[in-house]
Amino acid sequence: MNILETKNLHKVYDETSVPVYAVNGIDLTIKKGEFTAIVGPSGSGKTTLLNMIGGLDRPTKGEIIVNNVKLNDLSSRKLTDFRLKNIGFVFQAYNLIPVLTAKENVEFIMQLQKRPKKERDKRTISLLEAVGLGDRVNSRPAKMSGGQQQRVAVTRAIASKPQFVLADEPTANLDSKSTENLLEIMEELNRKEQITFIFSTHDQRVVKKARRVITVDDGKIVKDETRDPEKD
Amino acid sequence: MIWSIAWRNIWRNKIRSTIVLVAITIGLFAGVFSTGFYKGMADMRVESGIKTEVSHIQIHKPDFMLNNEISLYFDSSNQIVSRINEMESVIASSRRIEAECFFKTAHGTRGVRIVGVEPDREKKVTDIFEQMVEGDYLAGDHRIPRILVGKTLGEKLKLKIGSKIPVDMVDMNGNFSSKLYKIGGFFETTNKGFDERTVFVRFDQLQQQLNLPDNAAHEIAIYLQNDANIDIVQGKLQEKFPQLDVKNWRQIGKELALVTDSMDQYMYIFVIIILLALCFGIINTMLMVVLERTKELGMLMAVGMHRAKVFLMIILESIFLSLSGGILGIIIGYGVIKYFEDTPIVLDIFKGFEHYGYSSKVYTNLPPEMALNIAGLVFIIGIISALYPAWKAIRLDPADAIRTD
Repeated sequence: MNILETKNLHKVYDETSVPVYAVNGIDLTIKKGEFTAIVGPSGSGKTTLLNMIGGLDRPTKGEIIVNNVKLNDLSSRKLTDFRLKNIGFVFQAYNLIPVLTAKENVEFIMQLQKRPKKERDKRTISLLEAVGLGDRVNSRPAKMSGGQQQRVAVTRAIASKPQFVLADEPTANLDSKSTENLLEIMEELNRKEQITFIFSTHDQRVVKKARRVITVDDGKIVKDETRDPEKD
Repeated sequence: MIWSIAWRNIWRNKIRSTIVLVAITIGLFAGVFSTGFYKGMADMRVESGIKTEVSHIQIHKPDFMLNNEISLYFDSSNQIVSRINEMESVIASSRRIEAECFFKTAHGTRGVRIVGVEPDREKKVTDIFEQMVEGDYLAGDHRIPRILVGKTLGEKLKLKIGSKIPVDMVDMNGNFSSKLYKIGGFFETTNKGFDERTVFVRFDQLQQQLNLPDNAAHEIAIYLQNDANIDIVQGKLQEKFPQLDVKNWRQIGKELALVTDSMDQYMYIFVIIILLALCFGIINTMLMVVLERTKELGMLMAVGMHRAKVFLMIILESIFLSLSGGILGIIIGYGVIKYFEDTPIVLDIFKGFEHYGYSSKVYTNLPPEMALNIAGLVFIIGIISALYPAWKAIRLDPADAIRTD
């Protein structure tokens, strides 16, 4: 079942009258439960692609269809609502709200979704426990390590029960142990809860774990391989 | 949770927020205290103006107040006073005769306003008898009638108790009239100007000197239980005595009315100026907040927080910041004002104001509703200060903002 589809996706930046094709005709389909890495050199267009898939940026041409909804047609307000209900984000710099505890950071998204308090409490605690942060629910980000903060960020991203999670360089600021730990958690969530993960990354440790690797260059998909990481 | 985030965000940069809070607290304290100080000063001026100079209501023959023409007297004044004293809300009333006269002494000549009063009735209407600093208040009947002079005038003309002084004027028939009075006492009010240009004698003595008929008077001063129903009483009096001109203290003492009418407005303008100055400090702080938190604001919008909520969050932060400092300033200011309501602030630099009727002893006063209004202004300023920073925040592009270093 396709949860994401792009058709002839273009993004052109008209800087200093010379058009720059950041994304140049990408056709992409992502199925539910995929664990996909988008790789490519800096400036290849992977971040722009990720922004458009995540509804943060609008294409110049082409279509983005998420769960049968064409994002191009949505107003800015509806797009925000759509992101809230359908897409989870994990950022390179964690981007947690520093004045909130781990629990509150996770709960915040569900509160924006207007979920009942009981449900919020229950899901927040069970998710934080699942990522090994059951004892840090009341800690603020400043009191946590980078790895712990990123685990909270992953929890926040999946708390809203999204169609897929977009993770932009999620391990860039983490050491090897934290990276391994984080990847194990995401793999487990992917396997057990069928949560779809799409990474944009340079990190080979992430690439190795991915079951599908899409290579982007000059705004185009130059390679799209599906593999079994355990066999590799 | 937005409220909670907004409140906690204030304390992310404790030093900066504390500086802004202290600035707002000091500004609001200054604004509230100044308001209470000047309001107290104005109230005292009005109170002393009513108690000492004009009382609540005065009745005259029409046009008398235009140039104090002595021929514009009214008859049956005693009966009028009796009828007035029967009225509800009236404490007392007193007849007066007024004229312009000349004081001739070895040290100079002065033109002053001479007022003939009935001592016993006048004591219930004005408090000049309480302002006596030397001598007695027109007590007893004397062969040479007594005259009360303001201390300032007495000092200028080097008068002493018992000094004899001829008082010249033109009587009802247009004849020159000179009469010898003896200085019976000196009074000192908070209005040096009043003290310098007003003298008091007994009603019957001035009536006699002016050749006015028995029972004639130029003025009846009326003192009421309070100022609240003055318009009702004035209306009833005008109905009772349609041939006479009934005026309240606001119409008689226009300067007094101006003091009360304008003081509140001046004070609000003063507070608004303080708040506007603080407003720029808050705008600066909130702009810093938006700049520092660009990445975080981008994240909030990216994960699905509507721009309206981001806008509200910034506005709330500004309101919390303004209100915290503002309310603290108002509470401190109000506390200090309450303290000085009973303990006067005595300032020598205000001695000069006594010439204009203002006491150098100031009892502060700030009605609670005025303090609440100031708190309301702080709230509004909190919102206004955050509008531009909040607008800047929602103009951020989430995708770009997230990537900000």
